[in-house]
This record gives sequence, structure tokens and C-alpha cells, in this order.
Amino acid sequence: MIALIAETLTGLFTPPFRRKEFFQQLYFVGNKSLVIVVFCVCFAAVVTILESSFHMKMVIQNDSMVPGFAALLILRELGAIVSALLLSSRVGAGYASEVGSMQITEQIDALKMLGIDPVNYLVVPRFLACVLGGMMITIVANMACIFSAMAVSQLYLGYTPSMFLTSMQRFVDFKDLIFAMIKGACFGGVIPLVACYFGFRCQQGAEGVGRATTNTVVVSSIAIIVIDFILSYTFSYLY
Amino acid sequence: MSIISLQDVTVNFEDHTVLKSIQLEIPAGESFVIVGPSGQGKTTLLKVMAGLVTPQNGKVFVEQKEWITLSRKERLSVLKKVGILFQKNALFDSLTCVQNISFPLRETTELSDWEITKKAEYFLDAVGIPHARDLYPDEISGGMQKRLGIARALALDPEIIFYDDPTAGLDPITSRKIIELILKLKREKGSTIVAITNDMNRAFQMADRIGMVVDQELVITGNPEQTKNHADPRVHQFVRGLLQGPLTATP
Ligand SMILES: Nc1ncnc2c1ncn2[C@@H]1O[C@H](COP(=O)(O)OP(=O)(O)OP(=O)(O)O)[C@@H](O)[C@H]1O
Ligand SMILES: [Mg+2]
Repeated sequence: MIALIAETLTGLFTPPFRRKEFFQQLYFVGNKSLVIVVFCVCFAAVVTILESSFHMKMVIQNDSMVPGFAALLILRELGAIVSALLLSSRVGAGYASEVGSMQITEQIDALKMLGIDPVNYLVVPRFLACVLGGMMITIVANMACIFSAMAVSQLYLGYTPSMFLTSMQRFVDFKDLIFAMIKGACFGGVIPLVACYFGFRCQQGAEGVGRATTNTVVVSSIAIIVIDFILSYTFSYLY
Repeated sequence: MSIISLQDVTVNFEDHTVLKSIQLEIPAGESFVIVGPSGQGKTTLLKVMAGLVTPQNGKVFVEQKEWITLSRKERLSVLKKVGILFQKNALFDSLTCVQNISFPLRETTELSDWEITKKAEYFLDAVGIPHARDLYPDEISGGMQKRLGIARALALDPEIIFYDDPTAGLDPITSRKIIELILKLKREKGSTIVAITNDMNRAFQMADRIGMVVDQELVITGNPEQTKNHADPRVHQFVRGLLQGPLTATP
């Protein structure tokens, strides 16, 4: 795994640069995942607002801090992590089965026989696309999230958008958006590395591909959550 | 001077030995056929020659160059002279037939797009599947996939061509046609062939010399006539497909 990470990172600076594959992958990550991600994070935002309002009312008989608090939670955690977990099952599973079936049908060997480095050809464009795609999807997801939080606050809690934004400004900093982007990029980068690692080691048969796919989703989800902890912990020193 | 040379080659996977102390010299222009029971290491032997599997012990030379000592650039120049048809075809399933053949040309030559397409079409024609030009590998039959695999292996005008089970899963008539195609292309280019097959009739049709991989060894059984009358009881049993004998079929 460490070898794969090292090879991918050196591959970033080793020609040939496969622009076409990169854009194909970026399209795959963005186009195919964005709708699902936006859909899911909107619901997550709604739940956050309703739940936190319910609890705040119960404890301090007042939910005026809910918009700001929810926005903070969305930006710092929800937007990035929910998108990343969805990406890991959507994109990670796709990559693992793709690379895995290339491995067992000897397509990887066929690449090597053409003098093509499989890491350079398969992993590097996917890695770049996921880093960039993860970052962009996180931003879009965050905006969608905030927007739906705003809508639901108005509908159920009676806060107008301007009240929501004022409350949000009290809590949220521009840094939060930057940190969310960094998280999105890191989570995005983890997914193709894990997927290709299991894909390259795929065993014969449909069962092997299934196992590579399952392992990818499990390991990348765990990795994302652990990295999330490490990043949140690190960022907490930077506020 | 032999174009492929294996000296004392041993291959282990995890803890079991697949090939032990293999010696082999293949002169340029020969058609060498590897036979042997399933799972004994034929594909592994081929991949050793192609530089895809690095043996734990021994030396592998192709055109007097030892694979593991080559720099990236030298390796590329040797690879350009080698074509390979994989047992599972290894066609790129995201590319159409014509793109599958163009791909090696695009990756390793400086030809223009127009020349590449012309050449790819020529090879599709040569293997008899010009009508499959814009279909994907999933959309064509097993026999056509083999032909496409052969066309891709030939695309770079290689001097050495490895065929791993070119007739697997094909009916006898199609198999025969494929072997005839392979031999015709060999005659035209004067290339060296190393092929694996389990069909003795096809082996006899194709081979100048036959070797059998069994019990981690490579038994060189000679030309088709010599092979038919070979004294080794394992060869005797295998050639005739007998149930009684030293070889036990592994399920
Ligand atoms: N990459 C690998 N890792 C571990 N074991 C392997 C690997 N490749 C092959 N083997 C093992 O090596 C042995 C020989 O395999 P190989 O594919 O060379 O057989 P074969 O003679 O080509 O069989 P077949 O006629 O069925 O194609 C088998 O026991 C196989 O399980
Ligand atoms: Mg085999």
C-alpha cells in the first residue's frame, strides 16, 4: 500500500501525463456522483436542523442558535464526510471492480507488455480526478446543505434566510470552507488508492472481484473516518 | 543463436514451486509448442519468457538481453519486438475492436492517427473480422475475440509472438482456421512463435518442436513424430489422453 502511494505520487511528476484519462475520470467522479451526493446531504442537513432544534428547545428552551450551529456542523463535518462516504461506495467500488477485472483478465499484463506502467496509466489519473473532484463535490455539497438547512429553518422554525445568514456569520469563518476543501481533497485521494490497491491484488473469478470491491468500500470508509479525525484534530489548533 | 534462452529458471508462488530448474533454448524462426496438464505452469513459463513473471532463480534472455538487467528504455525496445495473446485475451473492454489494435500503435510508435487507423484496419482484415471494426469486445463471439487478440499481438510487427491457448473454447473447425492463420502470419513475417495448447492435434499442426510442462519440469519431447512415440510414460499418457498412467487429473 505504501509502495502504491509512493509510486502514485512520483507518477504525478513522471511523463506521460494522461490528460484524456484524467478528464474522463473527472467526468465519471463529478457527473455520476454529484446528484446522489447533493440529494443525500440535503436530507442530512434537514435532519441536523430538526434534531438540534428539538434538543436545544428541550435543554435551553430556545433554538436561536440552531442556524449558526448547524451551519458550522455542516461545513466542518457533514458536507465533507457524507460526500466522501458516498463517493467511496459509488466511485471506490466502481474503480475496484474495474481494475480488479482488468487484473484477472490479464489486461494489466497487456499494458505492461506495451511498456505502460499500470500505476501511471490507471492510478494517477484517477487519483488526480478524485482529489479535484472530491474538493469540488465537497464545496457543492456544502452549499446545497446550507441552502436546504436555510429552507427548512424557514419552513419549520420560522427563521428567515437573512436571520439564518446573520446567525451563521457569528459561528462560521472563511477558514471553515478552506478546511472543508482540504478534507474533501484528502478523502477523495484515499478512495482511488484503496480501490486500485485491492484491484491490483484481485484474485481469480467473480468472487475475487466482489471481494476486492467489498474490501475497498470497507477500508476506504474506515480510512476516511480516521483521516477525518486526524484532520479535525489538527485544524482545531488552527482556529 | 537462440532468440529466447532460459537458464536454470525456478519460479515459486508463495510457498509452492511451480517451475524448477528449467533449461530452454529457442532458435529464431522456430515454432515451439508447450503442452501439459492444466495448472502445471504453462502460462507461468510463457510469462517468464515475456518478462511478466520474474523467476526466483535463474536467468531469462530474450535476444541475448536479460530481462531483469534492462533499463526502462532498453526494456521498451525489447518489448516492441514481442507480441502476446493472453489466455483470457486481455482485450481492453472500454475500447472498440479497431481501437484495441490502434492502442499499442498509439502508445509505442510515432505514426500519425491516419496511419494508425489504416494499419489497425489492415490487421482486422488480416484476421478476417473487418466487420467487427466498431464493436466492443463484449459484443463479438469467442472466436472473433481470439482473432482480435491475435491482431493486437501482431500490430507492432513483433519478431517473437507468444500465444497462450489460442484455440481455447473454440470448435474444432474454428481452431484449425486460427492455427492456419497463425502459421500463415508466421510464414509471412518469419517470426518466432511460442504457443501453448492442450489440443494435441493443434500442437502437431503447429509445432517444429514440442515441450511438456509436468511436475515442475519441462520435458522437451522433440518434433511431432518424436512426441507421438516418446518413451516418457507421462508424455505417452498425455498425448493419447489415457486415464491410466502416472498423471492424475487435478479437478
Ligand atoms: N499470480 C499467481 N499467484 C499465485 N499463484 C499463481 C499465480 N499464477 C499462477 N499461479 C499458480 O501456478 C500454478 C500454475 O499456473 P498456470 O496458470 O501457469 O497453469 P497453466 O499450466 O497455464 O494451466 P491452464 O492450462 O489451466 O491454463 C497454478 O497452481 C496456479 O495456481
Ligand atoms: Mg494457462
